[in-house]
Amino acid sequence: MGHRITRLMYPCLKTGLLVVLVVILPWPAITRGAPQTQPPVPHELVGREDCLACHGTDGLEPVPADHEGRDNNTCLSCHAEPTEVSIETIADEDCLACHGNSDLNVTLPSGEVLSLYVDEEAYATSVHGRELLCAACHRDFKPGVHPAVRAHDLRDFSLAAYAACKQCHPHEYEKTLDSMHALALAGGVREAAVCTDCHGAHDVLDPHQPRQRISQSCAPCHDVVYQDYLESVHGAALYEESNPDVPVCTDCHRVHNVWGPDVPAFRTYSPRLCGHCHADQTLMAKYGLSTAVFRTYVADFHGTSVQLFENQPDTRPNEAVCFDCHGAHDIRPTDDPESSVVRENLLETCRKCHPNATANFPAAWVGHYSPSPEKASPVYYTNLFYIVLTASLIPALMGFVVLDYGRLVLDKIARRGTKK
Amino acid sequence: MNGERKEFVRFTLGRRVEHLLLLLTFAVLVVTGIPQKFHNAAWAQWLIAAMGGVEFARHIHRFSAILLGLGALYHLVDGLYRLLVKRQAFTMLPRWKDVTDVADTLKYFFGLISRPPQFDHFNFRQKLEYWAVVWGLAIMGGSGFILWFPVPAARLLPGRIIPVAKVAHSGEALLALLAIVVWHLYNAHLSPMVFPIDMVMITGKLSEQRLREEHPLEYASLVEPALKESPAVESDISWIAIVLSGITSLVILSILGALLWAGLRAQVSYP
Repeated sequence: MGHRITRLMYPCLKTGLLVVLVVILPWPAITRGAPQTQPPVPHELVGREDCLACHGTDGLEPVPADHEGRDNNTCLSCHAEPTEVSIETIADEDCLACHGNSDLNVTLPSGEVLSLYVDEEAYATSVHGRELLCAACHRDFKPGVHPAVRAHDLRDFSLAAYAACKQCHPHEYEKTLDSMHALALAGGVREAAVCTDCHGAHDVLDPHQPRQRISQSCAPCHDVVYQDYLESVHGAALYEESNPDVPVCTDCHRVHNVWGPDVPAFRTYSPRLCGHCHADQTLMAKYGLSTAVFRTYVADFHGTSVQLFENQPDTRPNEAVCFDCHGAHDIRPTDDPESSVVRENLLETCRKCHPNATANFPAAWVGHYSPSPEKASPVYYTNLFYIVLTASLIPALMGFVVLDYGRLVLDKIARRGTKK
Repeated sequence: MNGERKEFVRFTLGRRVEHLLLLLTFAVLVVTGIPQKFHNAAWAQWLIAAMGGVEFARHIHRFSAILLGLGALYHLVDGLYRLLVKRQAFTMLPRWKDVTDVADTLKYFFGLISRPPQFDHFNFRQKLEYWAVVWGLAIMGGSGFILWFPVPAARLLPGRIIPVAKVAHSGEALLALLAIVVWHLYNAHLSPMVFPIDMVMITGKLSEQRLREEHPLEYASLVEPALKESPAVESDISWIAIVLSGITSLVILSILGALLWAGLRAQVSYP
């Protein structure tokens, strides 16, 4: 028995001695050997899992010589992960050292010359200038990584670059996907506006101030419309009087999910669009304009029909809406002799939809008036006739029916009485 | 002739087909047209959408109007032929007696006289109904065509005729609908005398008893020419018919009244 115990004790003691010698005694030295004071990783790690690609001995920023032999898996044992993404490792000065040169450009395969110049002044005064460093938008650029321009032509470059905006402005970006511009882009129209076409790239300014800037953003592509707008009652008030009440492009066409008359629902809802201001009593009172225009339009055949199309947003209403008669971008005051709705021009306006209309025809439209003894009196009196006739005849007929019913019941009761 | 079961032809097959055509087209015209009148009401917008949109509703409306118009044209030609060529009596023509009949009926309702007036082939209720349809067809047909073809209409007439036609079409539509519901629905369906339906427009025949009771003067001229006035025979009506017709009338009136109330009250929803 004793033999057996000593034979078991021996290996146990041997193992214990080994543990004491190898682990416990040198423990302070082990912990000291891996101090937690090493600098944290100064950049984000996503997409940069291969540390030694940059920090290898032949890399851009090689590790210290005593790190030799360590692999990617050991770095994070000592160097803490960054607590927040820091892009400050690439200073704007580094970029501007080259891109501040106004001659810097690259010739694209299409033969077009892409300027790579960034106006430092313009960027500094832009909305981003004080907030964002170059690398915040140009995320392909990392310490030591400077991708080449791959665009085939200038438009290619813009169409790839504007994706940077959605990193910080995802809601606006998503709304643009529901726009006429996105629709055109998907249909192969590469010129269709993307973020930078309206807002600019490095020189992004507050799009709302001054208010004139909003419509100016649309002008480079929609110049004909813009010129019409400048001469319209709305555009003139904005540009000549800085009147903030008048609509700019985006008030009617929306901002990022831009729509227009090619969308059936735009046409259907356009009277409400105009009515938004023109049925507003406080606003219209400032200009002495009638707020009855929306109500009287809906009461008329055109408006009634269009209103009933509201339940079918995908069907294009075939009846006249506000801008068919009044004009859209070139809308003029109704007392302007060139207005499409003054008496002299009305027949021509009617003929846009009713090509065979004759001189009598425009009188079919009673204007934006509710018929009264003074205005459109035949309409007023016809309506009155039917109100009086219906309100007198129908109760009379009902009274007669009730009397008839009552007589039948009374007769029945009377007969019952005689039977008894 | 065995007195009990004898029947008198009142409406020929042609007349009954005319009536069926009028019934169907009128119903379609009401369903497709009235929601356009009450376009601000939610129920009207729902109904238009359910029919596949206002454009489709208008196509159906105009198609029904053409059918009804053809029916009316047939009726007119047939009527003129009967009156002018076959020299039949114009029994639908209102007479002075109809006015006194109205007065006498009212007196009877209030118990001032003991018996209702005696009627000939058509009584004043039926004549009122018939001439209301004639009037309605003329107004609705005329104004409807003006609204359908506004440009040609304005070539012949002042342009104002178009909004006038719209108001007239709209006003007459409601008047016609209410008149049909109150007057015709009562006289042909809801009156305890005939509830739930007066079969005369289906079979075209009226029993001898009913003819003698409801059109005693005609009965007298047909069966007992010697007799100027036949004694009224009052048929008994059941309590069930009285109660059921009353309840049905109230239900129909409530539904129609609610829709009308909502329709007249509905205002345009502002943007």
